[in-house]
Amino acid sequence: MIEVVLNDRLGKKVRVKCNEDDTIGDLKKLVAAQTGTRSDKIRIQKWYNVYKDHITLKDYEIHDGMGLELYYN
Amino acid sequence: MANRTDPAAKSIRGTNPQNLVEKILRSKIYQNTYWKEQCFGLTAETLVDKAMELDHLGGTHGGNRKPTPFMCLVMKMLQIQPEKEIVIEFIKNDDYKYVRILGAFYLRLTGTDVDVYRYLEPLYNDYRKLRQKLPEGKFSLTHVDEVIDELLTKDYSCDIALPRIKKRWTLETLGSLEPRRSVLEDDFEEEEEKEENDQLDGLEEEAHEKQDYYRGRSPARERDRDRRRDRDRYRERDYDRDYDRDYDRERGRGRDRDRDRERDRDRDRDRDRDRDRDRYRLRDEKDYGRDRERDREWEGRERERRDRDRGRRRSHSRSRSRSKDRKDREGGEHRKRHARSSTSPRRRDGAEENGTREEPKKKKERKEKKEDGTDHPDPEIAEANRLRASLGLKPLK
Repeated sequence: MIEVVLNDRLGKKVRVKCNEDDTIGDLKKLVAAQTGTRSDKIRIQKWYNVYKDHITLKDYEIHDGMGLELYYN
Repeated sequence: MANRTDPAAKSIRGTNPQNLVEKILRSKIYQNTYWKEQCFGLTAETLVDKAMELDHLGGTHGGNRKPTPFMCLVMKMLQIQPEKEIVIEFIKNDDYKYVRILGAFYLRLTGTDVDVYRYLEPLYNDYRKLRQKLPEGKFSLTHVDEVIDELLTKDYSCDIALPRIKKRWTLETLGSLEPRRSVLEDDFEEEEEKEENDQLDGLEEEAHEKQDYYRGRSPARERDRDRRRDRDRYRERDYDRDYDRDYDRERGRGRDRDRDRERDRDRDRDRDRDRDRDRYRLRDEKDYGRDRERDREWEGRERERRDRDRGRRRSHSRSRSRSKDRKDREGGEHRKRHARSSTSPRRRDGAEENGTREEPKKKKERKEKKEDGTDHPDPEIAEANRLRASLGLKPLK
């Protein structure tokens, strides 16, 4: 179980607990449940890499405590 | 400027009509080439031509959420705000199904509640195929009536949050709308008459019905199929789809209707989806109730078993009242059946379900007792697991 921090630089900073083998799509659902936006409106990035929905966190090498950028579609 | 709303346009729901589409999506549409090239200076007439050229519907797709031409045209309609007559013409026209859908979508966004129901419900009879673009970029098949159903029941479609409209039964009780009359109603009435005639021959048919139950079909449908082979093919299709829609939901197959009648009635009234269901049910109750009374002794057991496997909510109530009977009568055999039937995290109330799940899992007792970890000692983790279960994800490790 890892904890990921998502920040949208506009005031929303969210800490989400998830498994390493969850996909980005699952992570978006968890974030959507916490922030209240719809999961398909969320875009998760790291610098200019937009993370795709079907790849797991483990494959993206997202570790515990890592920060991701939260953008909206 | 090209992106300003027509100054003569009225405000919709208290705001600039273009604001019905949210900011990000709006900017995406303004930057889209289709909008810039084709939608410049469109009027109501030229808009029709563009609409006739449409060949798919959808919201945004792809990694950078590119809007579809359908979206751009909806935006254009919001911008120029055509008259209601024009929109109704769009809906009534029969030749171009995408023009129809465009009109229906626009009306759903901007029309009053009564108008929405009045003009969109006839479109339920249109069963033509449509091409829909999914957010991943692929195309999928859908039908006109499915899209209308989505517009009337859900509050989000094609990446636009649909404005809230009153539920149908509210309008019915207010008297602004009449109760829904389905086009298939005449067919149902005929079928009922035939069923009544059949019930007189009852006993011979029971052997038949047993088979029906095992195959998981409603007896009416089986009988229909036998008797109506020479009927229009397309009506059969409407039947099947209607039946699927109705029977696959929690309503159930009318077997112990007389018992759960009160409960079902209250539940159904609260649900918005069962617009036409009240009608069907009222009629069904009369017939099926009678039938079931007779068959009860005979097939009671088998039906229960089957119902439990199939219907979630109904068996939920039944398991409470009848758990003792079932345990005495059927013992291990019924437990086995339960283990095979699909379980969901929600169904933790029935004693049966927990019993069967825990038996195979006794070896893993050192881990959480429940499958999805919602009784984890740490409250935060239990909370997180509960959320995950509601989203359909596995528990945290």
